[in-house]
Amino acid sequence: MKKKLLSLMLAGVLAVTALAACGGSGSAGSDGAADSSAEETADADAGSSADSSAEEEEVALIGSSDDPNTLTVAAWDANFNIPALEAAEAAYQKVNPDFKLEIQEVSASSDVENAITLAGSSGDYSQLTDIVLFQDHYINQFMMNYPDAWQPLTKDADWSGFSDDKLSYSTFDGTHYGMPVDNGAAIFAYRTDILEQAGYTVDDFTGITWDKWLEQAKVVKEKTGYALMSMDHNGDDLPYMMMQAEGASQWKDGKANLVGNDTFKSIIEVIVQGAQDGTIILANDWSEYTDTTIIGDQVAGVFNGNWIIPTMKQNTAASGNWVVTTIPTLSGKEGYAANGGSSLYVTSNCQKADLASDFLTYTFGGGDGAIETYDAALTNGGVISCYGPAGKSDLYNQPDEFFGGQTVYADIVENGTHVPAVEQSDYHYDLRTLVGNLITNVINGNDIDAEIENAQSEIEFTMEE
Amino acid sequence: MIQSGNRVISGSLIFLKKGEKKGGVILNKGRSIQAKQQAAGWIFLAPATILIFIMSFWPMFQAFIMSLKKGSSANMVWQTPIYHNYERILQDKTFLTAMGNTFLYLIVEVPIMLILAILLAQLLNNRDLKFRGAFRTMVFMPCAVSLVSYALIFKSLFATQGLINTVLMNLGLISENINWLGTTGTARAVIIIGLIWRWTGYNMVFYLAGLQNIEYSVYEAAKIDGSNGWKTFWYITVPLLRPTIVMTAIMSINGTLQLFDESVNLTNGGPSNTTITMSHYIWNQSLGVGVAKFGYASSLAFVVFIMVGILAFINLKVGDVRD
Repeated sequence: MKKKLLSLMLAGVLAVTALAACGGSGSAGSDGAADSSAEETADADAGSSADSSAEEEEVALIGSSDDPNTLTVAAWDANFNIPALEAAEAAYQKVNPDFKLEIQEVSASSDVENAITLAGSSGDYSQLTDIVLFQDHYINQFMMNYPDAWQPLTKDADWSGFSDDKLSYSTFDGTHYGMPVDNGAAIFAYRTDILEQAGYTVDDFTGITWDKWLEQAKVVKEKTGYALMSMDHNGDDLPYMMMQAEGASQWKDGKANLVGNDTFKSIIEVIVQGAQDGTIILANDWSEYTDTTIIGDQVAGVFNGNWIIPTMKQNTAASGNWVVTTIPTLSGKEGYAANGGSSLYVTSNCQKADLASDFLTYTFGGGDGAIETYDAALTNGGVISCYGPAGKSDLYNQPDEFFGGQTVYADIVENGTHVPAVEQSDYHYDLRTLVGNLITNVINGNDIDAEIENAQSEIEFTMEE
Repeated sequence: MIQSGNRVISGSLIFLKKGEKKGGVILNKGRSIQAKQQAAGWIFLAPATILIFIMSFWPMFQAFIMSLKKGSSANMVWQTPIYHNYERILQDKTFLTAMGNTFLYLIVEVPIMLILAILLAQLLNNRDLKFRGAFRTMVFMPCAVSLVSYALIFKSLFATQGLINTVLMNLGLISENINWLGTTGTARAVIIIGLIWRWTGYNMVFYLAGLQNIEYSVYEAAKIDGSNGWKTFWYITVPLLRPTIVMTAIMSINGTLQLFDESVNLTNGGPSNTTITMSHYIWNQSLGVGVAKFGYASSLAFVVFIMVGILAFINLKVGDVRD
């Protein structure tokens, strides 16, 4: 009797988990299948393959809606992009009370990319949401390879309010496909209280050369124990941002420009020197970067896209002591850069293209709802607009106590307009990985010139098919 | 099963032909009974066969075709020359690193794990041991943990500010935190330790099952002949466990060659791709970074497939005692 009961329970548990697994991977499509087959064979164990498939990321999007006034949108980051979209929905509802925005939160930007890959592979775009949020550095590649997945905006926004750098991502052959959302302008923030202990002020770190920066950072490190900057070395954006601050690129005429590029070499040397001095912490991964170095109070400086601000604010003890300034350069002029950022794109699955375009231009595109949208997005999600006029609002010009009363948001919008447009590439992230490896190897004592040549030949290898 | 099914059907075909030639009524009747039985066999076999064909073999064939193409999945075109993807593999430094890493894991981890498993099995097979069941459960327990979870737990244990460093610091064994996952040597070691922790119990269960099939009287006879523990183990247990050892070795080799979760979740292949595995690299090529290169990824997958095939074949030959 006992045995029977036990076996019944076991069967029940198995049935439930099997159902859950099917529900998860059934819609995950070919991505899920490829993933789980690799795991399954590695396991040779039915039990664990069932639970691993249940863990798989859900990449399927929710598709479109039958309701003529409802748009669907897929986006990531509940603390950042989602509040911005909710703000836009609320603003647009004032002119179109029936309007509804169904927001699907995905766990990472790669979920949207994989959903496009999936739809493009099968030729079935019906599961795409009307609008997707897409990373700027990837959109060009996906636009070229999956041209059927997108449709242009049918209504013009106030394009003059955006920087050329930002629009260069979302415009193809002169046609606007995307609506920029957030501002990727980089900030270099310092802790005034720690600099003071070492006898410096923020002015000592504004408009200086990297050499001087390294020198002073070493003093700060010795006197206070704080490093002056950290970065997720698994996706190391430092070389890119530092190059952009110089107005230089790692690309030239569509090809990687590493060998013989003195600016590039100097910048790598700065990073390596900083890492060896302990003034730049290269974290192993993202969570170590944010949780250990920034929130864990190990650094007296943060250098990244301004979307890092919500992370910085989680270290409440440091409140009031941060000040944002510009980026050092090799020559000593004040540097401006941008990193990250994304835009909203209308997919080919959207049957309500006019509604979608109208919604986007009214809110994010500088229409009548723009100020309201961007103000609410800043308040609720810390999303800083890249639409210039939005920076003129009262809210943007309010001092932020976390930054010791600095009008940091207006400053960032202002800085964003100074960012020089540099040559971009579809292979941005491939190169980022290779340059990250290059830095690791040089820190470990390899010859810098040989490593640069190696990175150059590897990116060339990646680019030829 | 499929093979024997084939034999049966060809037999019946010959029979059928004979029957037709002679055209006898009795023969016809006999044939129909046999044919009915064979048909039943085929009906039972058919669903599995058809499903395996559609779900496994057909995609494999498709993948091979894909491995000769390039371009995005929406618009794939043939490579020129058609074998170019395979040619490219030879020049792909990252893949060669990945291959090296995978074989390093294989060579270091599999022997340690299997030896540990067999020793544990031997210990836990002892009839006089108390709480045997409890110990067995404990050793097997890691296998109930999903791969991703355990990889993430190991990652937090070995983080720069993680538990391992804290413990070692407090014991005074190290003077400053070790960057376990950020240094090539230690990162590889952590992956291997993780693999051993996760899979030893799993292999032990096979050995336990194998040991239980060995007659106890064999051991008694050995004892009477004056054989000590080591000799008993080496001359009786190991030879009798041979089929099990071969099976676990094949499974472990196969599994290690397709190692994925640990590389992705523990180290993400870093630092600078020195811990990346082949499967992880294939995944990176297909869905990891930017637009998928399914063509090249398929050709890589085929190379791994061939490697697994060759190793399994060698293993079978080595383990085969019949000749």
